[in-house]
Amino acid sequence: MSRADVLAGPVPPAAPAAPAALPGAVARLLRSELRLVFGRRRNVALLSGLAAVPLLLGIVLYVAQGTALSGQGPGFVARVTGNGLFLVVAALFMCLPFLLPLTIGIASGDAIAGEASSGTLRYLLTLPVRRGRLLAVKAVATLVFVTAAVLAIALVALATGAVLFGVSDLTLLSGTTIPAGAGLARVAGVTAYVAASLTGLVAVGLFFSTLTEVPVGAMAATVVVAIVSAVLDTLPQLAVIHPGLLTHHWLDFAEMLRLEVDWGVLGQGLAVQAAWVAVFGALAWGRFATADVTS
Amino acid sequence: MVPGVVAAAVAGAFLAPPLLANAGAEGLPDLTPAELAANVAAAESVPLSGTVVYTARLGLPEIPTALTGANPIALLGGSSTLRVWTDGEDRSRVALLGDTSEYSVVRDGPEAWTYSSTDEEVVHYALDAAGQARYAELEAELREGPSPDVAADLPTPEEAASAALDHADESSTVSMDASTTVAGRDAYQLVVSPKTQGSLVGRVVVAVDAETWTPLRVQVWSTQDAETPALELGFTDVTFATPDDAVLAFAAPADAAVRDVIIPLPDETDLAVPDAAEAPTDATGPEDAPLPEGVTVTGTGWETVVEISGIDVQALLGSDPAAMAGLASERLIGSDEAQELVGEFVPEDGEHPGSDLDLGALYGTLTSESPEGQVISSALLTVLLTPDGRVLVGAVPAETLRGMA
Repeated sequence: MSRADVLAGPVPPAAPAAPAALPGAVARLLRSELRLVFGRRRNVALLSGLAAVPLLLGIVLYVAQGTALSGQGPGFVARVTGNGLFLVVAALFMCLPFLLPLTIGIASGDAIAGEASSGTLRYLLTLPVRRGRLLAVKAVATLVFVTAAVLAIALVALATGAVLFGVSDLTLLSGTTIPAGAGLARVAGVTAYVAASLTGLVAVGLFFSTLTEVPVGAMAATVVVAIVSAVLDTLPQLAVIHPGLLTHHWLDFAEMLRLEVDWGVLGQGLAVQAAWVAVFGALAWGRFATADVTS
Repeated sequence: MVPGVVAAAVAGAFLAPPLLANAGAEGLPDLTPAELAANVAAAESVPLSGTVVYTARLGLPEIPTALTGANPIALLGGSSTLRVWTDGEDRSRVALLGDTSEYSVVRDGPEAWTYSSTDEEVVHYALDAAGQARYAELEAELREGPSPDVAADLPTPEEAASAALDHADESSTVSMDASTTVAGRDAYQLVVSPKTQGSLVGRVVVAVDAETWTPLRVQVWSTQDAETPALELGFTDVTFATPDDAVLAFAAPADAAVRDVIIPLPDETDLAVPDAAEAPTDATGPEDAPLPEGVTVTGTGWETVVEISGIDVQALLGSDPAAMAGLASERLIGSDEAQELVGEFVPEDGEHPGSDLDLGALYGTLTSESPEGQVISSALLTVLLTPDGRVLVGAVPAETLRGMA
């Protein structure tokens, strides 16, 4: 199913050669784009795979409960058996370094380069939508998919945690216990911050996607950026550039689990993401608006 | 073109605020050290909350908190972020932040708790029965205000400040530095530097808020590094308001392991020591205070060296550090080439990159051999542990300690 097929119906047959915005065209394009992204079999498989992570983690922790190995593990894993809410945090914590960047790489790397490699990009460009708007539609669709991936992890983790370990009052990192309702809100905040802190990498992936006609190249480059950023973050010699690194503030979601949430810390993390979005969004636009599309 | 403009705008947005914040404080009236000290002494302690960044550049190996979680041992090196809340009286909370962990110390009147989110352990410190009675008594006294005859004995803030300055004058030079801005607040800077050259401490700089007279930043500079302070503890963000009651209270989480520690009331002889130290104008200096057995003090001022005898370090560690160090550097890694590579990165003198927090290994990492014993040297403090069980500690170079051993 190509884009041209999907849009054949709604688009007026006499589409002008130089695309000019028609009312509703962008919304229609976005709707078809979302249908396409969520209809792709590999994307569905990706979502299911991510959703399986908390399920597996929960079952493993449930089985290991009461053995000598319970209460061990990095970050929040040790706390899951006490409170199912922590399974959401633990699952996101485990997916954040690699699985989520991989998901972003696949979704954003494919956005433009995928169309180019299958030869549908030039048909897409004949639509009555400007190139900048087309890029924006691609970006929004990718963001929606990435958000769906984070939500899939969080919701499956919440359900699994609630069934296996129950939901009780939440003990914050500061040792203070808050009611389960407030705890749920905190965990929702963690999920929202994690989703928002992935936007910078989406912009980077979209930029790579405009550079090449080989989707795998753009996907790999996006994942490499995330990993290189994480590696640079561990080098104390580079402490000066750490605050600006794409991945530096990813773990700041823990702020949501402290006694008094310092919104300044979270705001700084989001500001860095916004900066990456601005720079790489502009780069992607600069490249895509002027590129010769031959395929 | 557009991407370039966007990049420039982003860079500007991120770089401009720090540059603006670094501008010095203008328009603060000049103060002498004595006036500043009097203001600080007269100021009441105020409720505040804020973020404190602590940076240690002691030349000790850095211990990554990613491996240990938030743990006070991380304060030995590197940079740590702390959150501080206090009501200005006897309730406070300090939280040491890790990436995904936190170590909290909460003080609520006569009780205190520590909580580590990594191992979910609560330690509850409380005074024994006699101590609690004494605390309540003192608190009641404080509430009533000092009785007239005690009030007559108490020095005025000006007297206390000048006494403190006189005391400092014996070994140090006290001066004012240019006023500065700390955490967005105008601050005076007081500089205390040793009069003699024998100490590792170059100078101590204290930045004091010009409005509330609260110390906002302390920097300790080593004589070995003129570029950056060896120790720096300062607010990056501070609010002078009473913190929320929930922050200052602590109740152990339901599933946490609680360890109770009862602190006995110190007996009268121990109490005499701080009294003597608090009254430096007396003819009897602090050196006349009784010292515990096995402790001798040599030198004065910044070059004071404390010697403690009869300490069996090996027994405390429960293992032979040399064997530990040897073990770590001799472990076999796959191929010979890889082993050689590791060997190249491990210094010859038995130090090795310590990610393992085994106490013995840590000790092996920190110390180096000398003819007189094991030496722990840092930018500010040197410790010498001799084989016959003496420990010498002082803010002096290692050579000085080795000469005394």
